[in-house]
Amino acid sequence: MIIETHALTKKYGNKTACEQINLAVEAGQVYGFLGRNGAGKSTCIKMLTGLVFPTSGSGTVLGKPLGDVSARERMGYLPELFRYQDWMTGLDLLNFHAQLIKLKNKKDQITRVLKLVGLEGQEKYKVGAYSKGMQQRIGLACALLPNPQLIFLDEPTSALDPIGRKDVRDIIVALKKEGTTIFLNSHLLSEVEAVCDSVTFIHKGTVVKSARMDELLMNKISLTIRAKGMTEDLLVTMHNQYQSLQILADGSLTATLKDYEEIPALAAKLISNGVTLYELTPHRETLETVFMQLVGEEGLSSQQS
Amino acid sequence: MLNYFPNTSVTHGMGNQFRPFAIQMVTKMGFQFSAMLIALLTIMLGSGAIASELESGLIQGILTRPIHRYQFILGKLGGLVLLACTYATLLFTSILVIGALFGLSTITSLTFSQILSGWLLYLLLPVAVLCVTIFGSVTFKAVPNGILMIFIYILGNVGGMVEMIGQYVNNNSVIGTGIFISLVSPFQTIYSTMERIMVPNSELAAGAMAGASLSGSGKPASIWMFLYIAIYMLGFVTLAIRKFSAKDIS
Repeated sequence: MIIETHALTKKYGNKTACEQINLAVEAGQVYGFLGRNGAGKSTCIKMLTGLVFPTSGSGTVLGKPLGDVSARERMGYLPELFRYQDWMTGLDLLNFHAQLIKLKNKKDQITRVLKLVGLEGQEKYKVGAYSKGMQQRIGLACALLPNPQLIFLDEPTSALDPIGRKDVRDIIVALKKEGTTIFLNSHLLSEVEAVCDSVTFIHKGTVVKSARMDELLMNKISLTIRAKGMTEDLLVTMHNQYQSLQILADGSLTATLKDYEEIPALAAKLISNGVTLYELTPHRETLETVFMQLVGEEGLSSQQS
Repeated sequence: MLNYFPNTSVTHGMGNQFRPFAIQMVTKMGFQFSAMLIALLTIMLGSGAIASELESGLIQGILTRPIHRYQFILGKLGGLVLLACTYATLLFTSILVIGALFGLSTITSLTFSQILSGWLLYLLLPVAVLCVTIFGSVTFKAVPNGILMIFIYILGNVGGMVEMIGQYVNNNSVIGTGIFISLVSPFQTIYSTMERIMVPNSELAAGAMAGASLSGSGKPASIWMFLYIAIYMLGFVTLAIRKFSAKDIS
């Protein structure tokens, strides 16, 4: 595991920011870290990057204990509230970070990251004169500078326009192909769904669920059926076949299917039994619905009960 | 001021007699105000050195690089010391050059060893101020730290005055209070030692003008006092490193 934590807890006085966080991130993954504002995501990332010291618990990052300086040689970090020396030019900033990392092939690496984040030709301008999106891009360039094995991206697209977001998504996918592990904290669930292999949901400082993305969504399909002429016998038969079948208050039916391929067979069965079919709508489970179930207020009460 | 003294009604016709007093006063004031300026500029430089980066979040991008926190503190301190010392050297040189151009006897009579010792003490002042300010910058926000440091610096001046008054009235408890204040804020001790090296109280005029500055009227600080100042500076830097090394950057 490239990141492993055991009962990681951070308290500020009486306030608990993170409690008993257990994470296990495999190398080469894009790992999504999700939760509402103030859930403790950034605190957790700061503990992993050595900025914040845990109150209790332990962990390793890149095989080294939390806060180990040598691990940071192979680590990149884009903070949520990115702020850089605005009196420096983009090139100066990258040179400064290259010196901090003690980068050997400085010039080549700087050219590489500038090209990667789409800031070629803009590096001569001062960071203070950059737009917010460009500042986020130069921050990403700084994070990518050491060619890291592990990169923490805390809201990497918060200041970007849709094209910029797509660019970052492409960078994430490209990094993954190169074998880089990406620890992604984002509120843009569609973005997380598109790129992440695994996700962890955190709510009020505690992990509520960790799962692989495919297991989480499981390609489950929720099917809504509106029909007339359903007999009791047919309902019993259907229930035997689709145990998740439910009759809703408005008279419609819902069933959970494993595959889209089941839909034509189900429709054929209903029609052959003389049922008049008005609607047959499949809904694929999205990360957003899972997120709402897990960390929405209702989700919380169901978790607690 | 040198031109003013001979022409006043009080000193009318006695210009040459008052000139040594005026030279003493001008030299002391030159050093005193420049030292105060250096100290205040150093406080301005150092008070936000770390605090402002903590407040803005700028520090997060740096501390996630493979550097130890003590390296960050020492790097900041080193840079600021270099900057403050460069500025102090420029001011010190300016005073000497201007004094020499105006033919001030206090400046033209200086020996090389006097200039060297005076310059090193002149540099010690901003360095000592920086050591405390850096600790404050780790502990407090930039503005409160600046205010606190100015208070501590002025407290040192008050200590010098209290000690001077104690010597005038020959009261040991007042002198003791002055010394205690100087231990809390030893900056004035550094300055007054520098002043006594650069403007020694050997002449009659110098003796008469001893009270013209706020530097007290005692002898130059002992080697033990300078040992204390060294421990004081080192202590604050160590405290800054220890505090910063355990600080959550949130």
